[in-house]
Amino acid sequence: MRRRRPLLAVVAGAALLAAALVVAWRSGEGDVGEFGPALASPSSTAASRPATSPPVPAAPPPMTAALVPRRLTIPAIGLDAAVRATGIDKATGQVDVPRSVDTVGWYRFGPDLAARAGSIVIAGHVDSAEQGEGAFFRLRDLRAGDQITVTAAGSETREYTVDSRRVYAKSSAPLDRLFARDGPLHLTLITCGGAFERSAGHYQDNVVVTATPA
Amino acid sequence: MHLRVIATAIAAAAAGAVVLAAAPASAAQDSTVYVVHGIPGQPVDVYVNGEKTLPDFQPAKVAGPLELPAGAYDIALTTPGGDPANPLLKVDGAQIPGGANLSLVAHLTADGKPALTPFVNDTSKVAAGKVRLVVRHTAAAPGVDVRAGGTPVFEGLTNPKEAKGDVDAGTVNADVVLAGTDDVVLGPTDLRLAEGSATIVYAIGSAEDKTLAITSQVLTGLHSAPGGVPAGSGGLADSGRPAWLYPVAGMGLLLLLTGAGAAVRRSAIAGRR
Repeated sequence: MRRRRPLLAVVAGAALLAAALVVAWRSGEGDVGEFGPALASPSSTAASRPATSPPVPAAPPPMTAALVPRRLTIPAIGLDAAVRATGIDKATGQVDVPRSVDTVGWYRFGPDLAARAGSIVIAGHVDSAEQGEGAFFRLRDLRAGDQITVTAAGSETREYTVDSRRVYAKSSAPLDRLFARDGPLHLTLITCGGAFERSAGHYQDNVVVTATPA
Repeated sequence: MHLRVIATAIAAAAAGAVVLAAAPASAAQDSTVYVVHGIPGQPVDVYVNGEKTLPDFQPAKVAGPLELPAGAYDIALTTPGGDPANPLLKVDGAQIPGGANLSLVAHLTADGKPALTPFVNDTSKVAAGKVRLVVRHTAAAPGVDVRAGGTPVFEGLTNPKEAKGDVDAGTVNADVVLAGTDDVVLGPTDLRLAEGSATIVYAIGSAEDKTLAITSQVLTGLHSAPGGVPAGSGGLADSGRPAWLYPVAGMGLLLLLTGAGAAVRRSAIAGRR
């Protein structure tokens, strides 16, 4: 008996170590790969002076209809999802992401498809506890150069080309830049990813794909 | 017509200095100044320090922005093409601070006399999804309540005061009633409140002359980003390492080394026999 104990220990130890290494390697495959330019973390620059509208006539000017996204198509990952306009969840001050994971939400307070500047934001669930994988589950598989088509009501379309995917810890995500209404016009797709906190029921990171007008 | 009333009020108006005490401002920067014409029926030329700055300025219009360095300003309103030495309304030595955002409003007081009142515009950031609604009572009329969808949002507003609050963006059906009553004096009208803006509404004119009206201005660029994007609760995309990984790996390594060490010692002992 005593003669076999060291051998037993070596075999058991090797087995445990091997199992741990395999699990580490396999969960590493779940990491979302990053490419393209990253945004700087939020800095404490002084707020710029507000832009001002031109002199206002007695009656407010008539609103021009926004060009609202209705459908998002990304053939490279087989994504074809309905888009609906969404805003803020009043209880949390966060984006009110559509509950159905097959539907994604265009942030209606930011630029629309007719805008000339800023970040057109579409947010969608990567998955949900009740519904499984969401429309944005495969954003992790996109590559630079993949084509995105956004269709508006009335069948007008806009094309974009993927140029970056970054993962930001939610605690330090550069939200002001992600939701910028000025600067170069681009499309921003936001979902969740990274480590999943089982007790809290949410992910630690936001996965952000950006695309420039084609 | 107000010409006679305006002319007799010149002395009283000229005696008052327009001073802005409470504006937090950086003295080195220019101030951004809008001018609101809230006196009905009389277009004017506006002179600033003797220079004709706003020619043929129409009632209910908002002009600007003017970028003005901090200092004291003489402001005069004349009839269009009229002599600045003989103004309809004149204020000397109006103190404009530095780095502020102001609306200078020519309007009637509660008892119908012309006056020039400065309002500081709050251009601090508005929370995501919201808009800053500002209502300024600059009409010759009693105190009013401002209602949205029939419910008072501001109550007991008097001339020349303002009321403000950050509210949900969207379109509201708004009206103005005599304070504490349901007597509508202005509206109802659909008021579009654009997210991330300060929407400033002025009640102007005279109740007695039946010239009560609304004019407005919108300051944009005050929006904030949302606080976050919560977009996943399933865990299927989890790329974290399980918590047991390091303790198990460590234990495995320990067992492996201990066993190997014992095996090496044993074979060494056996070898010596």
